[in-house]
Amino acid sequence: MSPKEAARRRWARVAWAYGLLLAFGVFFVGPFLMGFLASLKTDPLEWPFTLGFPQVRPKNWAAAWQLGQKGSGDPWLGGMRPGREVVLEVAYFWPEPTPPDLQAAIPRRRPGAGMGAVFEGPYAADHVGLLGPELVETRPFRLGEAEGYLHRFRLRIAYEKEGPYLERVPLDLEAPRGALLLEATLDPVRMERRGRVASWDNVVPGLLGYAFHNYVRAFRETRSLETGQSLFLRWTLNSFLIAFIKVLTTLVFASMAGYALARLRFPGRQALFLFLLFSMMVPGQVTFISNYLVLKDGIFGLSRLFGVETLLNTYAGLILSGLVGAGAVFIMKQFFESIPREVEEAALIDGATPLQTLFRIVLPMATPALGALAILTFQGTWNEFFWPFIVLTSPREIYTLPLGLLSFRNAYGQVGDWGLILAGGFLSMIPILILFAVFQRYFVEGVNVGAVKE
Amino acid sequence: MRLKARTLEGLYALFLLLPLLFTLGVFFLYAFLRAVYFSFTDYDLFSPPRFVGLANYLRLFQDPPFLKALWHTLAYSLVVTSLQTFLALLLALALNQPLKGITAFRTVYYLPSVISTAAASLLLLWLFQRTGLVNQALSLLLAHLPHLLALALLFALLQGAQVLWEKRKGTPTSFLDPALALLSLPLALLGTYALDLLGLVQAREARVEVPWLPTSAAFLGIPYPLWAIILMNTYTTIPTFMVLFLAGLKGIPKTLYEAAALDGASPWVMFSRITVPLLRPVLFLVITLGLIGTLQLFDQVLFVGGSGGAPIEATITLAYYVYGNVFPSGAAPRVGLASAAALFLAGLTLLVVLLQRRFGVSERGWT
Repeated sequence: MSPKEAARRRWARVAWAYGLLLAFGVFFVGPFLMGFLASLKTDPLEWPFTLGFPQVRPKNWAAAWQLGQKGSGDPWLGGMRPGREVVLEVAYFWPEPTPPDLQAAIPRRRPGAGMGAVFEGPYAADHVGLLGPELVETRPFRLGEAEGYLHRFRLRIAYEKEGPYLERVPLDLEAPRGALLLEATLDPVRMERRGRVASWDNVVPGLLGYAFHNYVRAFRETRSLETGQSLFLRWTLNSFLIAFIKVLTTLVFASMAGYALARLRFPGRQALFLFLLFSMMVPGQVTFISNYLVLKDGIFGLSRLFGVETLLNTYAGLILSGLVGAGAVFIMKQFFESIPREVEEAALIDGATPLQTLFRIVLPMATPALGALAILTFQGTWNEFFWPFIVLTSPREIYTLPLGLLSFRNAYGQVGDWGLILAGGFLSMIPILILFAVFQRYFVEGVNVGAVKE
Repeated sequence: MRLKARTLEGLYALFLLLPLLFTLGVFFLYAFLRAVYFSFTDYDLFSPPRFVGLANYLRLFQDPPFLKALWHTLAYSLVVTSLQTFLALLLALALNQPLKGITAFRTVYYLPSVISTAAASLLLLWLFQRTGLVNQALSLLLAHLPHLLALALLFALLQGAQVLWEKRKGTPTSFLDPALALLSLPLALLGTYALDLLGLVQAREARVEVPWLPTSAAFLGIPYPLWAIILMNTYTTIPTFMVLFLAGLKGIPKTLYEAAALDGASPWVMFSRITVPLLRPVLFLVITLGLIGTLQLFDQVLFVGGSGGAPIEATITLAYYVYGNVFPSGAAPRVGLASAAALFLAGLTLLVVLLQRRFGVSERGWT
């Protein structure tokens, strides 16, 4: 084989390898990307799955921004306040020079389904006046093969009297058969009755309210019945709080225990280590019954000393029952064994106690391992489901995010509102994705730290 | 004096171990022993436990939901573990090359495994709806089957012609020569496109509407909803195991392959005689971790069941059976039975570990 030939083959092989890598990339990211796009859609289950839907068109983003600004002064979330007026223009194709008969209405549509349905919000129809449709332009128009006319209408939506802030102003526009909606200031999110009715969920959406409709709903519709606070926000904060505390306790206690197991001599060390390994292999389903009862009694009644009857439905219970995981101790023990003893021995000869050696000398050297452990713990706690699901049952305000997602799924799965469910899922991924983007090295290494010694 | 130093060290150790001993003692040892005790009693959380001997264990095997859960768990565990091990190994082999930007790809591939089971389950619910993306992708594939066949045929023809041409010129070439294939593929694509334009190859009408979730119908004895969970979980766990394999592959000395190549070994021989034997510890580790992880399937069952989802008898697993008997809706808890089932599950897990220790190599793998 000539050198030229060999070089050609090498290049071809590299090209195939990259092609393969790209194909795998599509496989691993594709479903997420598609799911994300679907979460923006009005109907995430539409057939066929289109990529050019109204919510991704920049023209609509600009229109939504402006309409939101005009309706309430808030270009992001939109809405309508008293004394404001917005104008919407629509153009129809119609074979006759006389304009088609358009019926416009602000429907009394219930604001929100599922969890949101229990809240009685003000209806836009009771407060807002609709002027028009008023014909502003007629000109000859060719649509493919068909000859006809383009009729442009203007709709004015005015909030004249005093009243409450309206989160949304829906609009239905019905045209006779044969009329075709060509363009609109803001594209309707739905076409009903075989394309005769163009429907807007909100004509004053604001940019987020239009493009990220379901995401805004996820925050707005999940409200606490008592306080009216956004539950989704609460769940997110709860998850952060618990993950933060757990990372702290795990780092401190796993380092302590790992150091003792790796370096100190005491009777039963080997037995304790074996027992630790055994505990890692027993599934949580074995221990959760007793643990549930123990927390119910406040850990043998000890919590009564602090005036707490039961530790169920408390974060104290959740955190105390998982102060330090066996896996974390295992990782730290492995790490401490991998660093040379000489440094510590020098300190010990100088009369330092094991505690001083650990906190002053060993731990500062252990930052890589601690970093990996912190991230693994954060990810584990953020994603943990089974045990919080047993401990935290009511009220809904104390849920962590995965538990919240379950109640979300149960509330909206019934009505098939998958867009909202997907939005909730994606929102819950954001912190982990950010963490992953920043510390991805630790994620990938963390898997190895725990498993393979090199 | 010496004794005193020893005692002091022991005391320090005790202090350092205190939090671990507390968690391990109260929330593991005590809990484990209590589970063993409960499993021999009849207990409903309210009245005191009543000793019944081995009755719970015997009752388990007469309880149809338990047998169903056992079958689901074993089938799920075996299918997912073999799928993910095989695919993760393939992926690791593909990624184990000195290419530029390979770390970026690794990062992207790792993405599915960082998200929570809750979020993954929500994605699953959407993917496997009747008009969800999975059915749409299957429809698309079926509809364009003629195109795919034409593409494969054209590729084979073009490649064959090129190889023959090379042979005539006197250069021995294998059929899958990468340089020639790189030319054949775009040509075959163009050819297929031309055939489509000429109307010789046309997309068929196809609309796959497999009801993945709201059904108890089964394929190969495994219900459809469980298949959905199998596919989703394989998808989200492949990356983790791929990373383990990559670490293992890095540990194999390059010189072995170089020596084998000098002796004229084919890629397959190198794979089966060098890679697999040297990867054995990691292979066993991956299989063990996979089996342990899959035996405890619970979250997805809870998410996929319920309103608009799958019937529980189609997805029930051992872990769910345990939970369902401790907190049943509208019935008295059967804690004894649940404990027996949980210990059975623990027994299965320990069996896997023991098998691994018996047949696997432990000095470099899982301790």
